[in-house]
Amino acid sequence: MRSDNGAPEAPTTPGQPTAEAGPPPSDAPVRAHDEPPRRRWGELVLAAATAALGVYVLVAAGSITVPGSTNTLGPRAFPYLVGGMLVAAGVVLVVLFLTGRAGEEEGGEDVDPTVRTDWLTVVLLVVALVVHVFVINVIGWPFAAAVLFAGAAVILGARPWWRAALIGLVLGLVIQVIFGGLLGLSLPAGPLLEGVPFLRG
Amino acid sequence: MDNFSALLDGFATVLHPTYLLWALFGVFIGTAVGVLPGIGPAMAIALLLPLTYSLEPTAAIIVFAGIYYGGMYGGSTTSILLNTPGESASIVTAIEGNKMARAGRGAAALATAAIGSFVAGSIATVALTFLAPVVARWAVQLGEPDYFALMVVAFVTVGALLGSSVPRGLAALSLGLFLGLVGTDTLTGQQRFTFGVLNLADGIDVVIVAVGLFAVGEALYVGSRMRHGPVKVIPVEKGWRTWMKRDDWRRSWKPWLRGAAIGFPVGTIPAGGADVATFLSYASERRLAGRERRKEFGKGAIEGVAGPEAANNAAASGVLVPLLTLGLPTTATAAIIIVAFQSYGIQPGPLLLQSESALVWALIASLYIGNVMLVVLNLPLVGMWVRVLRIPRHYLYAGILMFGALGSYALNFSPVDVLLLVLIGLVGFFMRRYGYPVAPLVVGMILGPMAEDRLRRSLAISQGDLSYLVTSPFAATAYVAIAVLLAVGLWLRRREQATGVAVTAGDGDDR
Repeated sequence: MRSDNGAPEAPTTPGQPTAEAGPPPSDAPVRAHDEPPRRRWGELVLAAATAALGVYVLVAAGSITVPGSTNTLGPRAFPYLVGGMLVAAGVVLVVLFLTGRAGEEEGGEDVDPTVRTDWLTVVLLVVALVVHVFVINVIGWPFAAAVLFAGAAVILGARPWWRAALIGLVLGLVIQVIFGGLLGLSLPAGPLLEGVPFLRG
Repeated sequence: MDNFSALLDGFATVLHPTYLLWALFGVFIGTAVGVLPGIGPAMAIALLLPLTYSLEPTAAIIVFAGIYYGGMYGGSTTSILLNTPGESASIVTAIEGNKMARAGRGAAALATAAIGSFVAGSIATVALTFLAPVVARWAVQLGEPDYFALMVVAFVTVGALLGSSVPRGLAALSLGLFLGLVGTDTLTGQQRFTFGVLNLADGIDVVIVAVGLFAVGEALYVGSRMRHGPVKVIPVEKGWRTWMKRDDWRRSWKPWLRGAAIGFPVGTIPAGGADVATFLSYASERRLAGRERRKEFGKGAIEGVAGPEAANNAAASGVLVPLLTLGLPTTATAAIIIVAFQSYGIQPGPLLLQSESALVWALIASLYIGNVMLVVLNLPLVGMWVRVLRIPRHYLYAGILMFGALGSYALNFSPVDVLLLVLIGLVGFFMRRYGYPVAPLVVGMILGPMAEDRLRRSLAISQGDLSYLVTSPFAATAYVAIAVLLAVGLWLRRREQATGVAVTAGDGDDR
């Protein structure tokens, strides 16, 4: 990969498939850190889901078959413990949320604390991954990897799209040669490259 | 001097050209992932775990040791040169190092970080060399309940101390314990939580969970709130002269040694790993600085880079003591290294130094050599690392996703694994978004099955008598230590947050 940060941001090319990944479309230009802390209901959902998983673990642990020979701690005891911990942690977190003590989100070098969550990007990235999964066995790993790389890069703001596609293709093929050819990992090369000797270990 | 000759044998192994190349490969990858934001050593090792299928154990362990150490070096470059406000509270080097770089003393900051890492890393490796056999000899006498007590210590400290909120840490830990339960029970052969899915009978692969949480989760989270625009890297002046002046050396050598003295012991106890060590070193350097020097803290004091960076590396070696002698991982990276051992059928523990003596000493020897390679690789090649740092973020995170998908696909060449990866990546995304630490989850998943095993064996020995768990002197001590560790750890973290707030406030005043 070459650094090309000197290149000016090219305007969005018309007719591009997945280019609508700019700033989130709906929100008014309100900065997240200026407003009073909002209730983020997703946090409540996560805490409740933790507790719910715990309840499930407690219930399901009761149906684990215990072989008759065990006279001490069987296969159920630890699941009961884990289920109890999940319920306890989940309930505490729900209470914390309801009393207004929300979690601090994780920082990071590339995270801009002033922007709001761009859900569209998250959804599109997941879509790119799922597409990748389903095309591996159709077009072969190197091309599926190129699809994933180019898709994710464009979703994250790479322009122009063909450069991302080109880099993805080169990366996919290089990895195929190194891992498939040299290290003997049996990555499927796909119908297009079938029979190219150095791509398979 | 039995150990000494074993160490020499280790050096003889590692100095073989093939292994030297593997060590170079490891430290190179390690530095690169340390430099790149968004990837840590835990994820890099998780991604490279498929290597273990085609490499022999010694080579693989040398690569992983190199990545582990290299990641520690590379991280300082990022925090010193990357101009991103907002995260300074969590990494103390960023406070002083970044200020130094902005004042045009970036080269000195990088040099004192690299040389300090080398000095402290070497001292700590010597300490590891002498301490590990002693601990292992003592650990042989430990019984099942003692091991269970040790694991409880690790759970509590990892769950409570990694991350910013105790209940969130415990939730993450419990989630990890649950994921560890999925699969076939080792003692009775019963399937648990497999939902009747055949693939789950062998359990969920740790690689998928680690890569999903660290790589995919991170990429999704960064993608959701990415800092757009070009990456602003603070330029570093070229040439050897500007690295460290005589005065910088004079001010750095004591913090290096103190950092090593603080970092190694903190690393050996399960108290949250390197973060606590760096913070302790920073606090003590500030206290020990004279009145005039103390004013420089927060504005670019070289002591504040030298000490914490040294402590960081010394703690990394310290973590290896419980890992190699007790089989006890105290950080996420250490937990992944255990998985690497396990994939060769090797279980780290007190007998490791006898049963796999050659491997362990080769590993320790490779730490000495990796340290030398790193200091050589880091200082002259800093220009290259800066270029790595400038990789446009859309390509960086696209690449992380691609390598993550590769790592999980290569496990069984089954697309189902990649779908599971996406699912766990989403869990990782939500955990990050709502402040749940992910490291306890990984540690819980790996350590959970081991702890259950120990617990059930203990109770099988005692025929169900629960008091057996606490009556051995060691176990009793350990449970008392939990209380003490928790109190001290939480107190330290409150101090740390207070310092972070103070520094951030000062930061705002400058601008």
